[in-house]
Amino acid sequence: MTNPANIERLNRKIPPNINSIEQINFIAPEQYSLVNGARLFWQHGLQNNTSKIELHFAAGVAIGDPLSATFCAGLLINGSENRNARQIQNALDQVGAYYDVSLGQLTAVVTIYALNQHLLEAYQIFHQALFSAIFPQKELDQLIRERQEKFKINEQKVSFLAQRLFQKELLAKTNFAKLLELEDFSKAKREDIKTFHEQHYLKGLKNVFLVGDFTPELVTQLELLLNDYRCDSKQNITFEWHASKSAIHLEQNSALQSAIRIGRPLFNKTHPDYLDFCILNTILGDYFGSRLMSNIREDKGFTYGIGSHIVENNTFGYFVIGTEVGVNNRIATFEEIQKEFKRLQTDLVSEEELGLVKSYLLGQLLKSADGPYAMLDLYANVYTYGLDLNFYDQYIKAIKKIEPQRLRSLAQQYLNWDEMLIISAG
Amino acid sequence: MIKFEKFTLPNGLRVLFHKEPASPMAVVNVLYDVGARDENPEQTGFAHLFEHLMFGGSKHIEDFDAPLQAAGGQSNAFTSNDITNYYDVLPAQNIDTALWLESDRMLSLAFTPKSLEVQRQVVIEEFKQRYLNQPYGDAWLQLRPLCYKKHPYQWATIGKKIQHIEDARMDDVRAFFKKYYHPGNAILCIVGNFELDFIQQKVAYYFGDIPKQDRSIRQLAQEPVQKKARVKRIVRHVPADAFYYAFPMGGRMDQSFFYADLISDHLSNEKTGMLYTILQKKKKLVSEITAYITGSIDNGLFIITGKINPSKTMAELDEALWALLEQYKNKKIGKTALQQLITKMQTAKAFQDQGLLNRAMNLSFFELLGDATLINTEANRYTEITPEVLCQYTQKLFTKTQCSLLHIQAKKS
Repeated sequence: MTNPANIERLNRKIPPNINSIEQINFIAPEQYSLVNGARLFWQHGLQNNTSKIELHFAAGVAIGDPLSATFCAGLLINGSENRNARQIQNALDQVGAYYDVSLGQLTAVVTIYALNQHLLEAYQIFHQALFSAIFPQKELDQLIRERQEKFKINEQKVSFLAQRLFQKELLAKTNFAKLLELEDFSKAKREDIKTFHEQHYLKGLKNVFLVGDFTPELVTQLELLLNDYRCDSKQNITFEWHASKSAIHLEQNSALQSAIRIGRPLFNKTHPDYLDFCILNTILGDYFGSRLMSNIREDKGFTYGIGSHIVENNTFGYFVIGTEVGVNNRIATFEEIQKEFKRLQTDLVSEEELGLVKSYLLGQLLKSADGPYAMLDLYANVYTYGLDLNFYDQYIKAIKKIEPQRLRSLAQQYLNWDEMLIISAG
Repeated sequence: MIKFEKFTLPNGLRVLFHKEPASPMAVVNVLYDVGARDENPEQTGFAHLFEHLMFGGSKHIEDFDAPLQAAGGQSNAFTSNDITNYYDVLPAQNIDTALWLESDRMLSLAFTPKSLEVQRQVVIEEFKQRYLNQPYGDAWLQLRPLCYKKHPYQWATIGKKIQHIEDARMDDVRAFFKKYYHPGNAILCIVGNFELDFIQQKVAYYFGDIPKQDRSIRQLAQEPVQKKARVKRIVRHVPADAFYYAFPMGGRMDQSFFYADLISDHLSNEKTGMLYTILQKKKKLVSEITAYITGSIDNGLFIITGKINPSKTMAELDEALWALLEQYKNKKIGKTALQQLITKMQTAKAFQDQGLLNRAMNLSFFELLGDATLINTEANRYTEITPEVLCQYTQKLFTKTQCSLLHIQAKKS
């Protein structure tokens, strides 16, 4: 037992010692190659009985026809030859399963969550519903109306308007700029959706990510089912930048805030500057203590939040700053962002700030590797780029190694105000 | 089953510790027993504004976030009508940093005029971004005073109006801190790979010298039983009419909470719930509709809300909804349907309990409700429910004279 007299008295002015993170263990999932060419990744070792299966299909909005992609995802398990939408839902409810379809630019991701003893059954229900989906006209008509109503509401949001215009201008003349307009929804055709379903789901499976503690037999049973898919959907996305560098403001009468999007073409994970740029981006706008937050929120009080991000897929990546500010502070916000770019291009980041950001990034990486769900997400986030977990070891090295000079030269190369597309609405 | 230990410091701080050997991270959660319901009706939005000020530096530490970030962690907080909850997530080896920061701001804030001035502005922008500059954004600002005439749930956590935020003065900030921010009014919960004696020693070291203070006794005006239906219509520049039906229900510890929770799930279930199948799918009256409960500690609300399709009217919806509710009141839920709802809840709970932060927040909240063991036992409350008691409760719940309706009418342009 410690003698109380020996316990040091607390001096609140002195911060506790910080123990740096030396190493993070990244654990690769078990991998299976299915006979159809798809890959299955399985992460286990949970402390509980939760589980999920995540299927990635080559069925995103920019793959082909965005209208069919949108409605196909929306109606995916809304009626099959044997069961209507309600019966399918009922069957899933019986095993207490939840599912979610999320539609991206290149892929559509279906996730089913269930307790591990129910996952196989839940997947079987989904599998059968997907393979015999009939896309009833009535369900389509209803979804069209619902989407139209949602769109009208979204059109009143300055953030929605700014984001769409930004995307159209930045990704001009590519498939990624083809955004649906209100009048498009009613043109959705059942036949096109069925074709899309056949080509991009039944023949478009890419990867399957599985988390949960199962017997190997169960995984074998899942494998058998997954072999029903074909994987011949080739992604022939040719991408070339035609981004504009203009400044466009959409005036919205009676708006109290302006939404702002500022950005430029950049690159994705496969680029040699990517890791170092991530560190620069963190300093600029990707954590609570970032330059943009410290200046525009915590010093000026112009906004509730501001952040900068790299948005990417396996074809391209771009850089974007997003915020909503009081309408009277729109121009002042532009000026402050410009100042922050200049500061990074001119002054060296102090050792203190850089040290903080390094520890912060390592801590966040440790957190994003915490547990099988997080670990498999980390894996999926690099696998689709043709990379492996070594990427994260490289990231740790880059964080430990980076110098203020390197950050300044990256800022000089990539953060030039004149090269930005500047969009605002409100 | 979530195992935890509990102890109390001589200054009144209640401490919960849950060991998680599998994670390299730790969570430090501090719940203060103060929310928007404790505010002065003339100074609403104060508990939430105060939450922002808690990040503006404390007595011995200039900045809250920087040391935590330098320790690889991050922090945030939320304010509800009932509570204010702060949390730090950081690598377990740096747990000291979070305890040092949280204990110093429990001891005393820095109260700098600059922090107050800036956070007033930030909160005003938050007010605009979330409530005023969004279609239907002010619905809850309108609905609360319609449903609550006496109880302080009549205002939202953001406050009744921007002016209340603008008027906040440093003296009020100090008084608020003194009244609510002390060990006896807080619950600290730590989750991570530690041993109990280590946690006991650390907590005593950092929090032990914070002076004990008497707790103020909460005396809130009780909401009288509503005798007459209430309707409020407002016109807004929105694309479709929206409706919010609110029915009074019991508080978080009342048996009716569990009934209402199941009924809201049953009515609003995706694809199979009656609200969807009858009003959205069959009668095509609405483009979206759902039901949920507020889950507040004091008497709450059961809400049915949605948006009306372009060719339909509020009157048609009102008639059809009441017909549906009458039908629902006279029909017992099937045993299978009831079992399905419970099974889904069990899945949802298992996923919720998975996260370290969720466990820390829920343990703290249940302790506030009276006993942290509720985190493991509360699920049993649902399995005891029979179709008969649910049916009886719906007859009481869906009473026209106790209903408050907010109708947001689309402005014809």
